[in-house]
Amino acid sequence: MKPPILTIIMLTVISGTMIVMTTSHWLMVWIGFEMNLLAIIPILMKKYNPRAMEAATKYFLTQATASMLLMMGIIINLLHSGQWTVSKDLNPMASIMMTTALAVKLGLAPFHFWVPEVTQGISLSSGLILLTWQKIAPLSILYQISPTINPNLLLAMAIMSVMIGGWGGLNQTQLRKIMAYSSIAHMGWMTAIMMYSPTMMILNLTIYIIMTLTTFMLLMYNSTTTTLSLSQTWNKTPLITSLILLLMMSLGGLPPLSGFIPKWMIIQELTKNEMIMMPTLLAMTALLNLYFYMRLTYTTALTMFPSNNCMKMKWRFKCTKKMIFLPPLIVMSTMLLPLTPMLSVLD
Amino acid sequence: MLKIIIPTAMLMPMTWLSKPSMIWINSTTYSFLISLVSLSYLNQLGDNSLNLSLLFFSDSLSAPLLVLTTWLLPLMLMASQSHLSKETLARKKLYITMLIILQLLLIMTFTATELIMFYILFEATLIPTLIIITRWGNQTERLNAGLYFLFYTLVGSLPLLVALLYIQNTTGTLNFLIIQYWAKPISATWSNIFLWLACMMAFMVKMPLYGLHLWLPKAHVEAPIAGSMVLAAVLLKLGGYGMMRITILLNPTTNQMAYPFMMLSLWGMIMTSSICLRQTDLKSLIAYSSVSHMALVIVAVLIQTPWSYMGATALMIAHGLTSSVLFCLANSNYERIHSRTMILARGLQTILPLMAAWWLLASLANLALPPTINLIAELFVVVASFSWSNMTITLMGTNIIITALYTLYMLITTQRGKYTHHIKNINPSFTRENALMTLHLLPLFLLSLNPKIVLGPIY
Repeated sequence: MKPPILTIIMLTVISGTMIVMTTSHWLMVWIGFEMNLLAIIPILMKKYNPRAMEAATKYFLTQATASMLLMMGIIINLLHSGQWTVSKDLNPMASIMMTTALAVKLGLAPFHFWVPEVTQGISLSSGLILLTWQKIAPLSILYQISPTINPNLLLAMAIMSVMIGGWGGLNQTQLRKIMAYSSIAHMGWMTAIMMYSPTMMILNLTIYIIMTLTTFMLLMYNSTTTTLSLSQTWNKTPLITSLILLLMMSLGGLPPLSGFIPKWMIIQELTKNEMIMMPTLLAMTALLNLYFYMRLTYTTALTMFPSNNCMKMKWRFKCTKKMIFLPPLIVMSTMLLPLTPMLSVLD
Repeated sequence: MLKIIIPTAMLMPMTWLSKPSMIWINSTTYSFLISLVSLSYLNQLGDNSLNLSLLFFSDSLSAPLLVLTTWLLPLMLMASQSHLSKETLARKKLYITMLIILQLLLIMTFTATELIMFYILFEATLIPTLIIITRWGNQTERLNAGLYFLFYTLVGSLPLLVALLYIQNTTGTLNFLIIQYWAKPISATWSNIFLWLACMMAFMVKMPLYGLHLWLPKAHVEAPIAGSMVLAAVLLKLGGYGMMRITILLNPTTNQMAYPFMMLSLWGMIMTSSICLRQTDLKSLIAYSSVSHMALVIVAVLIQTPWSYMGATALMIAHGLTSSVLFCLANSNYERIHSRTMILARGLQTILPLMAAWWLLASLANLALPPTINLIAELFVVVASFSWSNMTITLMGTNIIITALYTLYMLITTQRGKYTHHIKNINPSFTRENALMTLHLLPLFLLSLNPKIVLGPIY
């Protein structure tokens, strides 16, 4: 894509999200979402193949439906409260509609069906933007309306998301689908804590974005989209194999890596609020996630995947993609655990 | 505590920056120095623990385990020299780095004050061990072994995290030094039963308890020698140590909840010892004997009498050294004939007499010959369990007999009798191997002169 056009489109995406995050008028929220949606469609279609167009179409349809549901919720709120301000006291009916709409936008179960297919059809860098940046806007609206959300709805969606994210990813070898199911599961964790401590949701979102950003960058460095091609990394850049190992374990939530911080904090907040079985259930189903990350680690770093003899002497061009900020991101994705006491500044 | 932690962390840059000919020498020497420094922690005050800082402390329970851990690192490095000799330099350094990271995490685990920090480090020890087993193991079964090891431990320990956070909310703190005085008795309601289970299952899986022991033969057998040594000697003791710490919070529910686990341990002791009699794989035999000894520790910790705690602590140290030396001996066999099958290398006493002497001493220690600390420990546990219930003496006595049976079976099969024809041209014992066995057995037999070091806080 030509640079000026790409700039305009990216600026629209960013300003769409910014509008959603900073506005206090419900109509502007809807406008922000639509700006975001319309501008990201060309980004999803960076490659002109039918698969990408199919993915972009699916994305457009689901997100447009969600925006319409959101608009319905906004109008119901307008009917009952008489004003357009984004505030905490929403009508319960409007709250349910908005929560459902935002769940469709985020890819929470049971509205998660579009996430793997859309993520699979687009290129790695578009998938990166889809799974990280696009989550910020809906979560910011959920953050603002969190006191009024129906807890049963939210908890049901959270538990289902974690389970579906775990079981769905088990049979995948395509890395983009694996990252999609990982995103579904992490969204489940984020919504689980939303009622009790929205701050922890922001913490989880931050660490999730850092880890997913790093993972996608490492995958783009290798230009790999399947487990098979990821397993050849030992030949191309051996250093990345150990980084993938650390990153996958961090995504799975193993101490002492950063991925453990959100899980620990969320379980702490949930137990403080007298919920014991739910964090246990969430933690156990997160182990399913860990299983397929471990499978990736095994094929990449810990064993030498079967390859034919010519692979061992293969030469490749050096990667020329701009890996902006990759070393600090890697450090942040794996070594942030000792900094957890700094969370006390949030109080 | 930093005087041990920082030098251990610094071993890593030292390994990476050493000359190729000096990596083993440097790392082994400096880790011996670190273990010398850790010996000073054995000088415990009589009535209290050494409170070293807000984060670290060491009392008579954790000090012997700390010394065992630091003593084991140079021994692991010595044992690994042979099978890593053909690897490239970067891979050797990576292996040593994994061992050092594991050592660091284990040191911090044994001396942690805060139970959440203990939990995080307890889980963190899984990652380097997984990497050692899966990356440097020798057979294809190691993939399954690593997964079983990781997932069995994680499934057991995630409820522990929830339980610890719950206890923190109700009690206000999880600092071990405070909680030992603040612990309120908990009655045996259903929710307290689940709390008890959540707290204990992690350590039961780690010990391992008989029904949950499936990961152990896989992991021990598939790991390379340093992995087997550290697994058998130290990682199993994490479970025992954790159990002894956390039972303080769980009285008096333990009196009722202990019954199923006592039964599993008592029966499992005999089952796993009996399986040892029918093993063809040498490492598998030693792995099952670890399950059997650890079942004794579980019985001891669940009875909660002073004698049984002393016996449990001493048994952990004794078993650590004994099973580590048995794995080293099995490895010396493996390096020569590249097979773990016992009957392939028979009659070794004729060919390697000094190694046969180490085999004899290690086997005698394993079957708890007086006056080794193995005997003191087993005796304390047997007597304590007899006082808990008279019937257990039949099972314990049977276990001691079967332990003696399989240990002698192992000794006689590998050492005595006519040697097989194909082992006539194996290498003679290296000085490194003899030194390794000496360094294992010397502390074990010297401890029988002064066992009060390892008898724990109740002494």
